[in-house]
Amino acid sequence: MPEPQPTPKPSRFFPSTWAGRCAVISIAWGVLMIVGWVLNSQWNQEPATNRPTKNPVGDYVSADTCRSCHPGNYASWHASYHRTMTQVANPETILAEMAGLEITAFETDYLVLEQDGKHYVRTKPEGAPEAKFTDPQEIVLLTGSHNMQICWMTSNDGRTVEMFPFAYIVAEDMWVPMTHSFLIPPEHITPYSKGEWNISCINCHVTKGRSRIVEGETFDTDVSDFGISCESCHSGGREHVAINRDPSRRFKLHLTDTPDQTIANPADMNGPASSLVCGQCHSIWNFNNADAHMEFVNENSDFKPGHTEMKLRHVPQPSGDEAEQERAAMIAKDAEHFDNSYWRDGMVRVTGREYNGVTASPCFKGGDFSCLSCHEMHPANTEATALKQWAKNQLAPDMMTNQSCLQCHENMAANISAHTNHPTTSSGSSCYNCHMPHSSFGLLRGVRSHQVASPSAIETVELGRPNACNLCHLDQPLAWAAAKLHEWYGQEIPAMEKDDHEISLAAKWILKGDAAQRALISWSMGWAPAQRASDHRWLYPFLIFELNDPYPAVRFVAWKSLQSLPGYTGYKYDYTVNDDLQKEASARAYQKWWQEQRDPRHTYQWKTLLQPNGTFRQSEYERLLRERDNRKVNLLE
Amino acid sequence: MNTSYRHLRHGWWALFSFLTLGVVLETLHGFKIGWYLDADADIRRLMFTLAHAHGTLLALVNIAAGVTLKVVDGFDLEKNVSRAILWGSLVLPIGFLLGGVVIHEGDPGLAVLLVPVGAFMLLYGTACAARNLSKALKSA
Repeated sequence: MPEPQPTPKPSRFFPSTWAGRCAVISIAWGVLMIVGWVLNSQWNQEPATNRPTKNPVGDYVSADTCRSCHPGNYASWHASYHRTMTQVANPETILAEMAGLEITAFETDYLVLEQDGKHYVRTKPEGAPEAKFTDPQEIVLLTGSHNMQICWMTSNDGRTVEMFPFAYIVAEDMWVPMTHSFLIPPEHITPYSKGEWNISCINCHVTKGRSRIVEGETFDTDVSDFGISCESCHSGGREHVAINRDPSRRFKLHLTDTPDQTIANPADMNGPASSLVCGQCHSIWNFNNADAHMEFVNENSDFKPGHTEMKLRHVPQPSGDEAEQERAAMIAKDAEHFDNSYWRDGMVRVTGREYNGVTASPCFKGGDFSCLSCHEMHPANTEATALKQWAKNQLAPDMMTNQSCLQCHENMAANISAHTNHPTTSSGSSCYNCHMPHSSFGLLRGVRSHQVASPSAIETVELGRPNACNLCHLDQPLAWAAAKLHEWYGQEIPAMEKDDHEISLAAKWILKGDAAQRALISWSMGWAPAQRASDHRWLYPFLIFELNDPYPAVRFVAWKSLQSLPGYTGYKYDYTVNDDLQKEASARAYQKWWQEQRDPRHTYQWKTLLQPNGTFRQSEYERLLRERDNRKVNLLE
Repeated sequence: MNTSYRHLRHGWWALFSFLTLGVVLETLHGFKIGWYLDADADIRRLMFTLAHAHGTLLALVNIAAGVTLKVVDGFDLEKNVSRAILWGSLVLPIGFLLGGVVIHEGDPGLAVLLVPVGAFMLLYGTACAARNLSKALKSA
């Protein structure tokens, strides 16, 4: 009988002793940690050297850090155009289809190529053979995403970037030379040079940007965040983040509803401090002196939200009686510069500088009023569609309505018509339309003035600023508005020239006014409430005439307004082409109106400068054109 | 009732309950309920999802425990160990669930403190169960 063999012990993957088990688990954890560390180090690639880089320094930690604790606020910020004010260029952030784009301007041919998800620009003198193309420059940064987008290319100087001198107009899906995206004289060359982004745009289009001059026009620029992010308004968050890693501290704040003193919150500030948070960018500001400028260039400002002044910078306020001396001094120093930013009474006239208007408003004097009285940066509803709608103007709920003013002027709520002398449902009973009319300009359109004021015919005579009445009642002369303001509000009737009694102010200004007045009137002619109040039928020939304006921005506005009129929806016209082509397009548009849109039974009014059949009153038309104010207008948006 | 039955009964009822919670969450998705889906409810969504996932998984753990107790000779759980697993598999997902009802931006509500309590009970229970099972297998 064979001797029984011992049963072989099965090999066991898992040790049978507790010590062995612990060892296996520890080794597995170790391997996992090493793999994680390797992957993480590969993830954190070296920063790009051919463009400004993201490098949060000092108190700053960047918006990425805020997300986990403030998901709702992060979501609203993420949906905002503040975030996309500056972006690193990639196929997701570039809005236009750029590959293969060929475009000529400034006596240069530009060609855009795409390779491996990157876009490159090559240039050569206009009409030169292909061999003359320069080395490619990569498109690395983008400015804007709402109305326009501008691309910035690498230069041969490290992190210094150079402008691709065209703007992409988002709504029109068209590329235009940069000179055609501002209200500037037609003879102007491209407004930005190499390094301009590093030294100028960076001041407001990023968070905590540091230009850092290496030498001459070479920069070693870094930013805390591309775009305007959390810390622009809430101050650097390093301490806030560190101290709030302690959950007991967080829960103490949650449960006692106590504001966290380690972070700024504009919603908890008084009116002036809260407004200055927005005003640090949305204002016409100057450096205090050359040293302050250099400090800002190297380290950015030490301004923190909540401060009542900007330390290295200041916002001149030339508006109001008490600012008469400052206004006079500014005009004496550089009248042309003044006129390109302000009306002569000191009211700001360009968009993006709303703080100047807000702080000059009577509402602001009370100390509680601020930008956040009407706007909100973090809406309660963070649903994607709601955020998209909110992002257009960042207004709080109901603030598109009269409720914005009635929240303080409660006594007017019961009988609006008694104050406005317009039916309650009329656009003439909208507080905004009379007290914040579209008398500012920027981004190729009329923009509401943020200096809350009452319509005044006197100001129109003295300053050339359109009043709210005539911006809506385009068919009426100035004297009509003056009479209404006298009758309803007891305003004095100013001395006016003959034309102001006989000719519609809009018709007069579109022929005789300066470029800014022509732009505002052209824009108003496309504004639905004005078209309803003024009868749109007489607007066609004026807008068609403006398709020939010497200022590209005015031509664009006229084209957009013309498109808003019946029969011209989607009307094709290129406002960037040369004079001959513009004249041809204008003649074609006029012919279309005369043959297709003009109502032969309609009697056109004499005061609109048209004869009863709709043709121009030729002698008056030519006289006003001869009298046109041809001063160079260069609105400093 | 013996230990095996207790775990089986608890497991199946918990499975039913937390699967029902899953259906409720899908319904919230289906009707796009902002209270659950909006960006500012991020932490609520996370808490509820964790409650559903942990509750379901721990229900299966209890079923597995009940079956193991039945099929492995000599394997038993002391009363306190069994209770630790039963209560831990309830307290932990309920901590997630209640923690998601009231939230503070990126933080869950205070009820989330039930989660570590449940986790410790489960760690204790499963460690003891593993030890007991090892002993039972060795002696078999």
